[in-house]
Amino acid sequence: MPQVRIIAKNFMDMVSALPAMKLDKLYENPFICEAILRSLPPLAKKYVLQMLYIENPILAKSMEEWLLADGYSKHKVALDRLVQLRVFSEISDSRKRETSYILNPTFQANLQKHLVYGGVLPREPMSSAITNRLPSLEDLEAYALEQWECFLLQLINSAQAERHSNISSSMMKVFQRGLLSQRDKEAPKLTEHGFQFLLMDTNAQLWYIIREYISNSEERGVDSADLISFLLELSFHATGEAYNVNTLTEFQKCIIKDLADLGLVKLQQGRKESWFIPTKLASNLSVSLSDTSSREQGFVVVETNFRMYAYSSSKLNCEILRLFSRIEYQLPNLIVGAITKESLYDAFENGISAEQIISFLQQNAHPRVAERVPSVPENVTDQIRLWESDLNRVEMMSAYVYDDFPSRDVFESACDFDSGLLWEDSKKMRMVVKGEIHMHMREYLRRQK
Amino acid sequence: MSGHGDKSRPTKKHKSSKDDHRSTIVEDEDLYFREETEDDLRDGDKEGKKRDFTKLELKPDHANRPLWACADGRIFLETFSPLYKQAYDFLIAIAEPVCRPESMHEYNLTPHSLYAAVSVGLETDTIISVLNKLSKTKLPKEMIDFIHSSTANYGKVKLVLKKNRYFVESPFPEVLKRLLRDDVIAKARIFSEGAHGNDAFTTSKAMGEFGGTHDGLLNEAELAAAAEEKETHSFEIDPRQVENVKQRCLPNALNYPMLEEYDFRNDTVNPDLDVELKPQAQPRPYQEKSLSKMFGNGRARSGIIVLPCGAGKSLVGVSAACRIRKSCLCLATNAVSVDQWAFQFKLWSTIRDENICRFTSDSKERFRGNAGVVVTTYNMVAFGGKRSEESEKIIEEIRNREWGLLLMDEVHVVPAHMFRKVISITKSHCKLGLTATLVREDERITDLNFLIGPKLYEANWLDLVKGGFIANVQCAEVWCPMTKEFFAEYLKKENSKKKQALYVMNPNKFRACEFLIRFHEQQRGDKIIVFADNLFALTEYAMKLRKPMIYGATSHVERTKILQAFKTSPDVNTVFLSKVGDNSIDIPEANVIIQISSHAGSRRQEAQRLGRILRAKGRLQDRMAGGKEEYNAFFYSLVSTDTQEMYYSTKRQQFLIDQGYSFKVITTLPPPDSGADLSYHRLEDQLALLGKVLSAGDDVVGLEQLEEDVDDIALQKARRSVGSMSAMSGAHGMVYMEYNTGKGKPAGQGQIKSKPKDPSKRHYLFKRRWASPLLIPRN
Repeated sequence: MPQVRIIAKNFMDMVSALPAMKLDKLYENPFICEAILRSLPPLAKKYVLQMLYIENPILAKSMEEWLLADGYSKHKVALDRLVQLRVFSEISDSRKRETSYILNPTFQANLQKHLVYGGVLPREPMSSAITNRLPSLEDLEAYALEQWECFLLQLINSAQAERHSNISSSMMKVFQRGLLSQRDKEAPKLTEHGFQFLLMDTNAQLWYIIREYISNSEERGVDSADLISFLLELSFHATGEAYNVNTLTEFQKCIIKDLADLGLVKLQQGRKESWFIPTKLASNLSVSLSDTSSREQGFVVVETNFRMYAYSSSKLNCEILRLFSRIEYQLPNLIVGAITKESLYDAFENGISAEQIISFLQQNAHPRVAERVPSVPENVTDQIRLWESDLNRVEMMSAYVYDDFPSRDVFESACDFDSGLLWEDSKKMRMVVKGEIHMHMREYLRRQK
Repeated sequence: MSGHGDKSRPTKKHKSSKDDHRSTIVEDEDLYFREETEDDLRDGDKEGKKRDFTKLELKPDHANRPLWACADGRIFLETFSPLYKQAYDFLIAIAEPVCRPESMHEYNLTPHSLYAAVSVGLETDTIISVLNKLSKTKLPKEMIDFIHSSTANYGKVKLVLKKNRYFVESPFPEVLKRLLRDDVIAKARIFSEGAHGNDAFTTSKAMGEFGGTHDGLLNEAELAAAAEEKETHSFEIDPRQVENVKQRCLPNALNYPMLEEYDFRNDTVNPDLDVELKPQAQPRPYQEKSLSKMFGNGRARSGIIVLPCGAGKSLVGVSAACRIRKSCLCLATNAVSVDQWAFQFKLWSTIRDENICRFTSDSKERFRGNAGVVVTTYNMVAFGGKRSEESEKIIEEIRNREWGLLLMDEVHVVPAHMFRKVISITKSHCKLGLTATLVREDERITDLNFLIGPKLYEANWLDLVKGGFIANVQCAEVWCPMTKEFFAEYLKKENSKKKQALYVMNPNKFRACEFLIRFHEQQRGDKIIVFADNLFALTEYAMKLRKPMIYGATSHVERTKILQAFKTSPDVNTVFLSKVGDNSIDIPEANVIIQISSHAGSRRQEAQRLGRILRAKGRLQDRMAGGKEEYNAFFYSLVSTDTQEMYYSTKRQQFLIDQGYSFKVITTLPPPDSGADLSYHRLEDQLALLGKVLSAGDDVVGLEQLEEDVDDIALQKARRSVGSMSAMSGAHGMVYMEYNTGKGKPAGQGQIKSKPKDPSKRHYLFKRRWASPLLIPRN
């Protein structure tokens, strides 16, 4: 099974990992350029804007002169990022032993254009005369979350999934890779990564899925650069507006259906035309992950008596909480559970760590308790950690038992033989040695004969 | 009964009320069953049935309403709702609190809680409509039905003693008629002269409720009715038949349990007691509140008031006596607390010395004059054997007197049969039970509620902490790993009877205890109580550390001497107590408890012990939230890891945790860098100790077997408690001897940790574990 790393950094990390050719191709799209600019660390943003109209390389040394005394590390980070994204090209002059930087010309030109003319999407929102009533933003957000949850429930193979999205089962298998494991004919079980995935926030999960979607695209005969550029372009569409599906290319029409299943857009069919409406999930694609403002509101209250109250009506949340707690009551908009030793032991067994549970509880703390320090009572977090460390007191190691020694001399010499001796009983002449020295010991004893 | 004419209700109604009656009983059973399974569910490992009430319909403005109500009687209350205060007052009157930490409270509707609600004047429709108003969802039908069936009969009938004539009183004449269909009651009836005809009842106006306990909600028009004057109907019964009539009205018979009210202002027959509260006795708000529940309609109601230890129960008792101003019989659990009660009476009230007397095996006083206060023990009154001539005389006086108030302390420790006996021996107009930890009734005392009365008021532990009325206690569980040698012996089959001795005598526990004593004595100048149930351990610890100890066999004189020294001498800062110290011994100076052994899984023992240090000390402003010292009292429970104790410990803490307390776990005591100067540092010493434990007889190392004491009821109980290990241990949810308290009768609400702490104020043992040197690397 391929090792899946569950670090959902952001889209840009993935973009930066693209081969140079593809990256250059991406920059032909002005929206990508803007998205890249937005994603940059503040200092890097400043450098790009500062150099937007400079066409000659700038010496690294002169750039350093812009710095404040304590700004070097930030400077370094900014430069690394820019080079990594090929926004800057590094030009080294070996003769003068000088390095200088220049802005990627395509990127520069596009950004300049963008600045002057503003971003012009390849398509305009449709007039309300055709679409007449569009869903309100709240409805749209609810729809998006519902779609996303439905997808996740299906992803984790929950019995709670009421309906199935149209995502092909082969596609689903791709997403499940690394999150679920299936042994023989048993029902698939969530892996450690799967649990971690569920504990992440929606944006992080979305990144993970989109990443899988993109990296898998080549197998489906889809160019990943096209896909990325479409996704980023999509993120610049206005949330809640309708866009005609006919403005899309065939390839994009195909993609948009998958995106609807994930809740990124809502598809609607009019009398003649059909259109798609981007949701908040789509616009979040170009937002940096570290941006906490886009986090959804917390909903969990944990009390000092280990009771947990979750303000949520989501089945998915209920499933997530069930991973490490005992759900006792389910009300229309509240889930009541208890964090118990047993429920935690189950979680630990499934590879969830105490830290993950605690950070999940902290990150999702209900606004009422989020300001409290600590947001999750100290005695609860302590106890979760203690229960975990309690499980790690016994260390397993392979070992071998030896008995039936021909003589006491052999036994004693064997005891002295290596430092791998774990236990001995000189009366009954038995000993246990570490697994790794078993071969040596056997060899040694053979030689004694 | 003939001649009802048109006044009688159609038989249909009669039938339905019979059905009601049956269904109430069935639901009773259901409820107990449910509570038990839930107990298991909370403690046990099974996933249990999930309660899915997602189908309940949310009201559109649910965000503004504070609670959810589930079909099984569970209620969840948001404490941050703007309506919280009103909702809280209302819920506490109608439901049993399950747990009350900071943000969300849980309550259970039970037949008993509804009985209590009805008895303080709330009516069925009021309960349902207010609940419906507060609920975020439509009320489940099951809950409405449950409230109807539980309250249908409760609170409808009152037994009122007026001018020494007993009247059965009710606003519902049809209920009285129904009662009179019963032979026993019909025979007990006395026809007054004024009445014309068999079925006519005396009618009168009774004063409505005053005291705006639920004003926020109840002042709305539809509820105003509760405060209106009501016409009541009554008939008189023969005073000699009162007990029988009451018996017939209990849930197992006619199911119209009678509320007892004493119209003491109009009692001209019994002589008044000239007593008043002293001006300096200022009841605190919650004490006022509990009294207002008792005297809400100008009469004195019988019932139980629940206040945490140290919150001033005695002032409530004394105040009640001062309002009624009639003779008062005060019952306590042992001789020490008899002394304390007598002292409290003299402290708070203007009672003259000749009007108050103590009656115990050691002191047999009698008051002069025709009214007075007698303080005695339950055992002295209920004692069945032969008494001395002098005692016999006093008991005779107690029997013959009509007491205005029967004041019963620590009702949770008194078994039902003793109540029955005491109540049958003494004639009283009003009974007031006081306790810190109200119990859930088991089959032997199912009608404790009906013997004394409903719970009138229950205070909130942590609200009182916030107000600075009781000490703010930091609770800690100290994990003491077993030493290798002790653990090896612990695991051996032949030592099964010595298990307890082995984990209590665990040298690491001893060292932790010694460390804590030194720390608190020397660094903070605290007064420390060490509790040990295991007598062998108690003796060993106390001898080794050279500290005084008190256990069952310690004489009254010696006890008093030791306690006196502990209170006054700067050299005696630690005292070792066996379980005789759990209840009633008042040691207000102590502010640290170290518990080295305990009665298995008893939640109540844990709470009672904590109660020993709850009395607030120092200045009020220092104690209040944000004051100088956040925690001023410390409760340590020392447990040997990997032994039974760990399991019990979790169970024991449940009660306090439900009150909002939290236990901090400390894993390294003494800290790794110290401890060389503590006892049992060397292996030889540890082995010598082990030898001592192993060579002691099984009988020596077992639980304390207490001698019978004529005064002390707690002690007798201790002897009776030999039972199956699992029952005693709390493995069945049984708690401390005789009651199955389930969780959370008593009050308490936790906001103990509501604000960010200034770490500099914290006791260094409690500094953030994960940043502190106390953290042991796991091995």
